[in-house]
Amino acid sequence: MNGPELTPLPKKPFSWTPIWIFAWLLTLCLIVSDLHISFGALAYAYRDIIEYFGRYTSPDFSDLPKYLKLLFQTVATAFWGTLIASVVGFFLAPFAARNLSSGPKVYRIAREMLNFMRAMPDLLLALIFVASLGLGPFPGVLALGVHTSGFLGKFFAESMERIDRGVIEAVSATGASRAQVVMYAGWPSILRESLGYILYIMDRNVRMASVLGLVGAGGIGLELHDTLRMFRYDESAALIIVILAAILFFDCISTYIRGKLT
Amino acid sequence: MSHIIVNRIEKQFPNGVQALRGVSMEIAAGSFTVLIGPSGAGKSTLLRMLNGLELPSSGTVSIEGQTLGPRVMQRIRAKTGMIFQHFNLVGRLSVMTNVLTGRLSHRSWIGSVLYLFHERDLKIAHHALERVGITEKAWERADRLSGGQQQRVGVARALAQGPRLILADEPVASLDPVAGEEIMRLLRKICDQDGITVLVSLHQVALAKRYADRIIGLNAGKIVFDGAPKALEHDVLNHIYRNQKAIGNEEHFEAQMAYA
Ligand SMILES: Nc1ncnc2c1ncn2[C@@H]1O[C@H](COP(=O)(O)OP(=O)(O)OP(=O)(O)O)[C@@H](O)[C@H]1O
Ligand SMILES: [Mg+2]
Repeated sequence: MNGPELTPLPKKPFSWTPIWIFAWLLTLCLIVSDLHISFGALAYAYRDIIEYFGRYTSPDFSDLPKYLKLLFQTVATAFWGTLIASVVGFFLAPFAARNLSSGPKVYRIAREMLNFMRAMPDLLLALIFVASLGLGPFPGVLALGVHTSGFLGKFFAESMERIDRGVIEAVSATGASRAQVVMYAGWPSILRESLGYILYIMDRNVRMASVLGLVGAGGIGLELHDTLRMFRYDESAALIIVILAAILFFDCISTYIRGKLT
Repeated sequence: MSHIIVNRIEKQFPNGVQALRGVSMEIAAGSFTVLIGPSGAGKSTLLRMLNGLELPSSGTVSIEGQTLGPRVMQRIRAKTGMIFQHFNLVGRLSVMTNVLTGRLSHRSWIGSVLYLFHERDLKIAHHALERVGITEKAWERADRLSGGQQQRVGVARALAQGPRLILADEPVASLDPVAGEEIMRLLRKICDQDGITVLVSLHQVALAKRYADRIIGLNAGKIVFDGAPKALEHDVLNHIYRNQKAIGNEEHFEAQMAYA
């Protein structure tokens, strides 16, 4: 092994990774002790847990038509929420994309609007809208719409920022206006990704819409809430199965179509 | 008549690179001019300044008597076609739609954002496609075409604008020699038949000599040669392509000479 002498390697750069890992572990330990999380108690509780779940073993599907109707309402809530989000995202995203926005100020404002909408939890929004607009699916639609507008707008904007600069320049160089540049260089370039994002949000909204029923925003979740409160475990079990089946169904469809898109 | 007047342009990029150092030139209407010079000489920067894709740090550009500025930018761009090294087509759109983007500046935004065009625009785009010889590809997706074909679409898009000036930044650098030759012939023909002013940057001295009326040599942000193709002798080329730092660039220079 004594070939020509190697030039010594330059000094290895300092790495923060081990320090970060150590810091995270330390915080984790602190959290466990601070919350009095006791793994021992968890082990004892398993009997109780098994007993509780035992109450759900005989689902009662006698009201299935009603459940399906409510499920349809839930899916419709998710659909309209997604539609609102897509439309809001469509108009806001170009302003929130650095390369298509009409100036740093507009960019900041659009970004902050999207951040704000995203930061509002949809459960909280649903509570507020239910309180102000009354029970029913409409507050659910609004809650999902507002919250996921923030997501879709951000996803769209970030896809737009990845568009080849040359393509945007080429369309601008024809003398096209900003709206025309957005429509000819922006949207066509990210159309497929955007459809994927919309499907993903639709899928997520179906899941969320079932939960939103629990706070009074209509659909199958509301029914589940009622049966749970009245300890009608058989009906609750049936509802949970219907909800899970629907969520799985939408998840599969959305994954399948998104796979086709790319 | 001068089509373009560039007056003592300086360009410093935000990162401190001084790309152009006092460039002045006049380009006659209907002429075919080729810019040559080593990598980093500032050819792209200069071309892009003529339709406002870059803004000068100081100095002025005027096109047909109008000084380039924010107020007239869109109007000047509408009459200026640009052709790029990497074609810069919207890959997901059809060839036809790409050519139609050349008509956008002639249309109000309301119809065009919905992809509605006049019959007349379609006819103009059709003509442009015919001219570059790819009519049969009209409805194909632009990114499915070969490089040579994509560059023709780029030329067609510029033609559809009905331009008075065409800027082409290394239009043949991504093409094989035959396709490159065809694009140059096309540009020359457009210049001769339509009286459109053409300004091309090239790395191939041979092509420059064959097609240009006038050659401008750029080095380190300054014009170091300006004359007829015939005047482009060995020592002149040596002067244009000399390296700033003069290290190990002999090979690059030899390659240039081999081409010539
Ligand atoms: N956007 C930019 N930001 C910073 N520096 C830039 C930018 N664009 C170009 N430059 C620099 O300006 C100088 C001139 O670049 P330019 O692209 O005009 O050269 P060129 O003659 O076209 O070269 P090439 O033959 O390689 O295309 C180079 O040093 C380049 O690094
Ligand atoms: Mg260049």
